[in-house]
Amino acid sequence: MTIPMNGSSTLRIADLHAGYGRFDVVRDVALTVERGQAVGLLGPNGAGKTTLLRAIMGLLPNRRGRIEIAGTDVISMPTHRIAKGLASIVPEGRRLFLHQSVEDNLRLGGLTLAGDQARTEALLRSVFDLFPVVEKYRSRPAHALSGGEQQMVAIGRMMMSDPTLMLLDEPSLGLAPLAIRDMAAALERLREQGRSILLIEQRVDLALQVCDRIYVLSDGRVAEETKAADVDAAGRRLIDAYLG
Amino acid sequence: MLQVLLSGLAAGAIYGLVAMAFAVVYYVTRVINFATGQLLMIGIMVAAAVSAAGLPEPLALAGGVLVATLGGVLIYGVAVRPVLAADRFSFAWLVSTLGMAIVIQSIAAIIWGPTSRAFPALLHRDIMFFPGGASLSWQQIAAIIVATGAAVAYEVVRRRTLFGKVGMAISSDPEMARVVGANVTAHSVIAFALGGLLAGIAGMLVGPITYANPYLGETYGITGFVALMIGGVENPIAAVGGGFVLGILSVAANTYIDSQASDWFPFVIIVVVLLVSPRGLFASGLRWRRSRGGLATAGTNS
Amino acid sequence: MATITRRTRDRWDQLVTAVPDASARDGRLPRDRGRLVQVGVVGGLIAYLAATFAVANGSFFIQNLLMTAAIFGILAISLDLVAGMTGLYSLGHAGLFAIGAYSMTLLNDEFGIPVLVLLPVCFVEVGLVGAFLGALSLRVSGLYFAITTFIFTLVVTVILVDFEFTGGLGGLGGPTFPDFPAGLDVLGDSLVWAVAIIFLLCVGAVWCIRASALYPVLLAIRDAEPYAAAAGVRTATVRIAVFALSAGMAGLAGAAFSFLGFISPGQFNWTVSVTILVMVILGGMNTHLGPILGAAFISMFPILVPIDPFVEQLLYGAIFVLVIVFYPTGFVGLIQAIWRRLRPRRLPGVRAAQDEEAAIDDDIEAVPAAPAEAAQSGLALECRDIVFGYDEGSLALAGVSLAVRHGTIHGLIGPNGSGKSTLVNIIAGRLAPRSGSVTVNGQVVDGLGAAARPSHGLMRTFQSAVMVREISALANTTIGLYSRVPRMALRAIAWPLLPSGRRDSRVMNAQASATLNAVGLDPAWHRTRVADVPHGVEQLTQLAASIVASPSVLILDEPLAGLAAGEVDHVSRIVRDLRRKGVTVIVVEHQTRFIFDVCDEVTVLAAGEVVRSGPAAAVRSDDRVREVYLGQ
Repeated sequence: MTIPMNGSSTLRIADLHAGYGRFDVVRDVALTVERGQAVGLLGPNGAGKTTLLRAIMGLLPNRRGRIEIAGTDVISMPTHRIAKGLASIVPEGRRLFLHQSVEDNLRLGGLTLAGDQARTEALLRSVFDLFPVVEKYRSRPAHALSGGEQQMVAIGRMMMSDPTLMLLDEPSLGLAPLAIRDMAAALERLREQGRSILLIEQRVDLALQVCDRIYVLSDGRVAEETKAADVDAAGRRLIDAYLG
Repeated sequence: MLQVLLSGLAAGAIYGLVAMAFAVVYYVTRVINFATGQLLMIGIMVAAAVSAAGLPEPLALAGGVLVATLGGVLIYGVAVRPVLAADRFSFAWLVSTLGMAIVIQSIAAIIWGPTSRAFPALLHRDIMFFPGGASLSWQQIAAIIVATGAAVAYEVVRRRTLFGKVGMAISSDPEMARVVGANVTAHSVIAFALGGLLAGIAGMLVGPITYANPYLGETYGITGFVALMIGGVENPIAAVGGGFVLGILSVAANTYIDSQASDWFPFVIIVVVLLVSPRGLFASGLRWRRSRGGLATAGTNS
Repeated sequence: MATITRRTRDRWDQLVTAVPDASARDGRLPRDRGRLVQVGVVGGLIAYLAATFAVANGSFFIQNLLMTAAIFGILAISLDLVAGMTGLYSLGHAGLFAIGAYSMTLLNDEFGIPVLVLLPVCFVEVGLVGAFLGALSLRVSGLYFAITTFIFTLVVTVILVDFEFTGGLGGLGGPTFPDFPAGLDVLGDSLVWAVAIIFLLCVGAVWCIRASALYPVLLAIRDAEPYAAAAGVRTATVRIAVFALSAGMAGLAGAAFSFLGFISPGQFNWTVSVTILVMVILGGMNTHLGPILGAAFISMFPILVPIDPFVEQLLYGAIFVLVIVFYPTGFVGLIQAIWRRLRPRRLPGVRAAQDEEAAIDDDIEAVPAAPAEAAQSGLALECRDIVFGYDEGSLALAGVSLAVRHGTIHGLIGPNGSGKSTLVNIIAGRLAPRSGSVTVNGQVVDGLGAAARPSHGLMRTFQSAVMVREISALANTTIGLYSRVPRMALRAIAWPLLPSGRRDSRVMNAQASATLNAVGLDPAWHRTRVADVPHGVEQLTQLAASIVASPSVLILDEPLAGLAAGEVDHVSRIVRDLRRKGVTVIVVEHQTRFIFDVCDEVTVLAAGEVVRSGPAAAVRSDDRVREVYLGQ
């Protein structure tokens, strides 16, 4: 689990424009995620958070500017190559392969390691350690799991490619308080392992708890950037007001 | 009795291979390639032409299969990929693949003319006799073996290998398949190439009986499609099973009812099959239960 | 049932009179523009009749060419009705076409029934066959429906070929269409007029449906079946009825076709089914003109392009591929692209919505109040000993009882997988429990499907909003009014021609618009396609659709998922306001702050059983609840 070192930034974005069709949703965004950091993306609905994550993952044909992951320029790289150890995503709505088993979903997550049996098994073990319930249901079809369990499988699937950068689009959505606590703990452990995380989260309290730094997106641009620790009660109210 | 069964299996093997050609493409891309029959035809025409040019027969057959395979890739590149890129859920591919079928057929008719030509007979010359007076040519036996072998091989790949599971992942969510690192384009090209390959092989196996004719594509396209429906589109092995069922029924109807009965009798059976099991004869109970479970659990994410 | 129908009508009439300035508020179709449309329709009609007159007195070649095109035009537009609007890709239309043609011929031949009597007979007869075919769509949809109907066509062809009375492969000579009486023969060929009128009726009916309030409902049946059912649409019945109508049109096309000369099985085989579908897709699916253009092109091309037949075939196939590859939406897409080049237009003002951020208005007054019958005291909703399991083994709900008092907000919480959504689906009628009983407003609703429950005052939202993406938020909201508008489905066929239809559209739009405003959706979003709106707007639209019809009991399944903090506060206000108006609200939610702030009572589920139920404060401080849910 070595992270290629090239400067200390895992993700560096500059002058990024991206969107659907000819229409730019994200405009002139600059953003960095340092190695071993968790960075939160906040912003009102429609601000372009999901679009930004999709652009990083290479899922939008319309993207211009600079995106570097671990020093590699990925702006024109196809998704399946970005998936090779650079980045992986827990997308909006989880999007598991519903008719395949939980274990198949996880193994598909490790597709890019194909051939490296030992590493696959080790990663599978680490997912099971993080989410014991996933191991319990490993042979069930993914659609038979509840929302929270599916969320865990989605995070596990993301972990399986051993990515340098982890992208999560509202992982707390639909989770009960206990499950959110487990998820937050899991993210912290991943960060301690040196993973870099970019996280969209509507719940400001959770974002502040998990993240080192926060970007606030508005209307497709970065409106604010701050260290999470610097956000005091007043600042929090400000963010709340901003998002409303 | 035995003769009916054997002839039915032999005819059904061809239908099954064509049905599997449809199913392999569908399995990955959710597209029914309506030019599959024409791929079989173009394989036969090329093989006939190469052989007529005086080259050795095995070379002719290889050439036919190769052209059918490349034809599959060409159809994907020209008629399917652009359409899916625009909207994955539209049925626009129906029009574009049918268009390709018409184009391939008319090109063949323009180059070789609308009449039948000789086809290398090869194994068809030798007959094997079974107890009870039944007989099949080695070519027919080869057809049965090839169809069964192809189905089993494919099923093993599909179920046991990660490669096969990727195919299923692509068909359910191509975007997420890309996210886990699958090269969707490469997989789709391979699926269309396999479809062309299977259609081409079917062509080489049936050529000695039908001779080479540009309108063969329609005939085998339809029967292959009907076999596909009897078996069920979801998995290729079922498609081959559907082919065998259709072959036996057709030959049996011709033998026991009258010589025209194969025109309608299989359809009666299909209606019964679809009334009992709308997803095809070989849609397993497990799959059905799973899909029902999927429906029921669709809204239970809490 | 009858009382519900009457009550529906009364309540709708009240609403209609309560919104007198509907057209003014709607503001989209000012009077003079309405006048312009009327003039356009009358002008178009006169031009159409004049053209028919010209053709009826024209050459035989032109007559035949255009009548064939018109007949295929009817087939294409009838197929578009089911494929484009309800998503049923039928390959059975050649079979239906054949039944129409052979019925006309045989009934006229054998029994001497006049053809003018037989036209409606064919319509009804083939419509009934269509109802049968449509019923198949309840078991299979998508590709399997296409396959099943494909087989139907094969079977029809086989019957035509193999039976004596149909004339076998040779076919039959069609009946002759009676000429005009002596005085009217200046009109020319009577058959041309007949075909022109049938074409006009069929196209008119489909265009009316597309302009009706039923159109969003049909799209919802296609794309978001649970959403439609939750609005009270008996989706199965509507789907079958639409298919029957489409089949009837195909039957009429067949009947008309039989007058053109010989009919034989070859003219009705499966390739014709595929050809009709190709016409629709090539022309442009679910568009006004697409199917007609496609039909005209495919039926006329081989006749009008007199070149070497092989080259002609080649060209024909190449056009299929090229048009679809470059313009996946077909000819209509091609025309639109040219039109756009000629008249460059600005991008639609989607983003405009955000510029007027201050516009979230606090006027929740427009949220419709609960109907009077809900004002009674007692329980709004009661579940008794509900047992349910998805498979043989484990139970998802093991005897759950729930009592919700009138006019309260009741929270339903629990860990993931505890059975909350299952319970909601049982209350809403999407799932049937193994045992136990559900009572809404004092009436037992067991055995009623999801679509029958809105008429008992029960509405719901879904966890992840699935709506019709290609139409606006406003149109999606009007779907929620389905159970309130009397006989919407029946009137759809002539909707814009009926004064009541135009009036109801105005009222529905006004009502939907007011409700969208009330849930805090900026007016700029109202006309935006749902496909282009962010998640929060989608959630609010769904909320609007569930309250637009003034339910007395409302179930919200995770209404806050994906909403920003400000939006959460807004939803809290809406929910409180609904309670003030006497609506009983049941909320499934994970945001505990919201639950304990807003709810009067809370029920906690865990592993399919009720852990605790009672006043919010008591539940919050309960030790078991802290342990299994809050994790404190």
